[in-house]
Amino acid sequence: MKSFGGVKALQGASLVLNAGEIHALMGENGAGKSTLLKTLAGVHKADSGKITLQGSDFVQGSTKLAREQGIAVIYQEPSLFPDLSLAENVFVGRQPRKGSRIDWTLMETESEKLFKQLGVSLSPNTRARGLSIADQQIVEIAKALSINAKVIVMDEPTAALSSKEVERLFTVARNLRDNGCAVVFVSHRLDEVYALCDRITVMRDGATVGSGLTKELTEPALIKLMVGREISELFPKIEVKPGEVVLSVQNLGREGQFKDITFNVRAGEIVALSGLVGAGRSEVVRAIFGIDKFDEGEVVLNGTRLPSGNSAVAMKAGMALVPEDRRLQGLFMSASIAKNSAITVLNRLTRGGLLRAASEIRTAETWGKTLQLKYADIHDSVDRLSGGNQQKVVLAKWLATEPKLLIVDEPTRGIDVGTKAEVHRLLSQEAARGMAIIMVSSELPEVLGMADRVLVMREGLLVGEYSRDKATPEAVISTATGSIKTL
Amino acid sequence: MISGIQKLLKVREVPVFLALVLVILITGFANPRFFSISGVQDITLGVAVIAILAVAQTFVIVMRHIDLSVGSTIGFSAFLIGYQSSHGAPLWWCLLSGLLLGVGVGALNGFLVAYLQLPSLVVTLSSLYLVRGTFNEIAGGTTITNTDVPKFISFLGRNYLLGIPYLFWIAFVLMIAAGLVMRHLGWARDLYAIGSNPAASGLVGIPVARRTFTAFVITGAIAGLAGAVLLARFNTAAANSGTGLELNVVAACVVGGVAIAGGLGTPYGAVIGAVLLQAITLALGALGVPQFWQQAVNGILLISAISLDRYLSSRVKPTQIMRINA
Repeated sequence: MKSFGGVKALQGASLVLNAGEIHALMGENGAGKSTLLKTLAGVHKADSGKITLQGSDFVQGSTKLAREQGIAVIYQEPSLFPDLSLAENVFVGRQPRKGSRIDWTLMETESEKLFKQLGVSLSPNTRARGLSIADQQIVEIAKALSINAKVIVMDEPTAALSSKEVERLFTVARNLRDNGCAVVFVSHRLDEVYALCDRITVMRDGATVGSGLTKELTEPALIKLMVGREISELFPKIEVKPGEVVLSVQNLGREGQFKDITFNVRAGEIVALSGLVGAGRSEVVRAIFGIDKFDEGEVVLNGTRLPSGNSAVAMKAGMALVPEDRRLQGLFMSASIAKNSAITVLNRLTRGGLLRAASEIRTAETWGKTLQLKYADIHDSVDRLSGGNQQKVVLAKWLATEPKLLIVDEPTRGIDVGTKAEVHRLLSQEAARGMAIIMVSSELPEVLGMADRVLVMREGLLVGEYSRDKATPEAVISTATGSIKTL
Repeated sequence: MISGIQKLLKVREVPVFLALVLVILITGFANPRFFSISGVQDITLGVAVIAILAVAQTFVIVMRHIDLSVGSTIGFSAFLIGYQSSHGAPLWWCLLSGLLLGVGVGALNGFLVAYLQLPSLVVTLSSLYLVRGTFNEIAGGTTITNTDVPKFISFLGRNYLLGIPYLFWIAFVLMIAAGLVMRHLGWARDLYAIGSNPAASGLVGIPVARRTFTAFVITGAIAGLAGAVLLARFNTAAANSGTGLELNVVAACVVGGVAIAGGLGTPYGAVIGAVLLQAITLALGALGVPQFWQQAVNGILLISAISLDRYLSSRVKPTQIMRINA
């Protein structure tokens, strides 16, 4: 069991790994896979329960000890040392010595041997800077081999790879398996899991809900395990009759990220953009808002064609975007709640070029009340608020502009259930008052509970559209993972 | 042959060294006196102090930190050594007190940066003032004159080995020693890892705080001992000794390819950078360029160095972030 600040992230999780197998770990976002992996990596320590490795207790809570005990975790985006050579990256912190000196020759020949064993031609004395993600993963795997890892965990390794690179990674994984390693493969892509893995374990809500041999577990059975729960009426969605088309997107495309994206959003409508992480959802909304440029197609807001890559024009035309990573992109963490809430409407609050502090505070307080923001003092800096309340400040900041189209990217990621419901109530209310909303979300219950329409993306393409009554968990997941061909 | 040359050019220090050779050649042809023994001696004598401090600075800059307190430390140490000697203390005691001063300042910097995680720029700017203030209070109007300087130290400052000043030999030996350490010892390689990717360093089991602390202590210790070199160079010390040296030192490092963003650079580069800056200053003087323009040229050189670095690293191809099988 593992809990964070009263939120149980893992409870009843179990995973049995055999030597010489590739084991898929599956589950929706928030199912607890990452927490389990981080426990294995030594980043977290479980509050109860135990982990046994080859008959003896696994000592938790230190990344160094985890590695020494033979568990290596390869993250989706490896964190190499860009300025060091590949050989040094493989042996960082534990370089082979000759006396007290580092044995550079041995280090380089050993690395070269490992790369060769993995079937890739990387030169051990080039620097890591500029290496493709696929090659970075290979370096991490070489690092795992150099410590004789018995368990190699790959956390969504294929999300950023080309299909050719995926093939190479699969070959490497099979080699590892044949040499007696247990490989844990985390992926959302059903086709990859079925192509590669011997066994599958499924997690949901922090617990393991099923495990079995790949050949005995059919795709529908697997999807059912992953989704599991009923989508209850957790979110008070207000039924709204959609009005005029507010946003129309035609054949939108951006080289290397997405193409042929076409859809409309009407006033009062909540349209969910669903799909796996990396399917291109955030990229699409960033292009619509003008943070990124698009190469082809057009975006029309209330009859006005928006130029590519100009968010100032989009804002003026009545669009607002609440970004995915609120700490990095949405808030000025060390500024006050009042400043953060009012920053988007500063020019409305100035007189003769001077900002009127009183109206800044009034704006912040009005929105604070609407959003039921919990704070001690409106002048407190935002980083003192909880994640949920931070998210409300971001929302306040954008709602203050009274947009006609609001785009929210993962609006409830990392916030507690109570605040989640409040955010949903708020979105629903704004929609009822005629706002058009695009919601990017990886959480299926949220998508199905909130959206009037669900658009599904996969690998940069819009591959499915479901109306509220047709959007079932099975339909959305199978479209997003590509297990059933649609369109 | 060609691939050998290409390989050599990829070593960060080589272009700086070539620039140095170019400066010397051009100036030498324009003003043959520059080629003389005294020309070489001018450069090597003038650069010794900065070169030593630049070697020391390399330890912290590769970690993506900076130590601005070295100018105050070296000045205070030079004064301390002369002052103790004038009161009859033996040479070893004088040097030890300089060393201890440096270790103390380094430990303070290191503690604040490594364990309290304060930004090194602010920490060492504070200790620059702290040390300088204490130094001024203690020194008052006292000046260390040539009769106060230990005999051995003033001997080093005024004599030559193989035509090169002893002070430069000290810098040279220190450079070689630091160069070997930073290339061949595990803990020193950790400094590069920390500067290259601070977040990942902890995850691979590098004791980041301890290494950071150690590096600041080393920098401080070298600056403390270098007080003797500063004293030898000028044969005098007073409350303003060493003022402003820290900026010349950082400039020398950056010009010599020690990346201010951490992870790259060597003591060799730092020294070559120091020599290049010194050579250019003297060259411009030899060519009759007014002194203030010489400073402006140093500024241009710095900007060129970091721009070149940025340009080279931006040429690395971007990584693909997603795939489309459409």
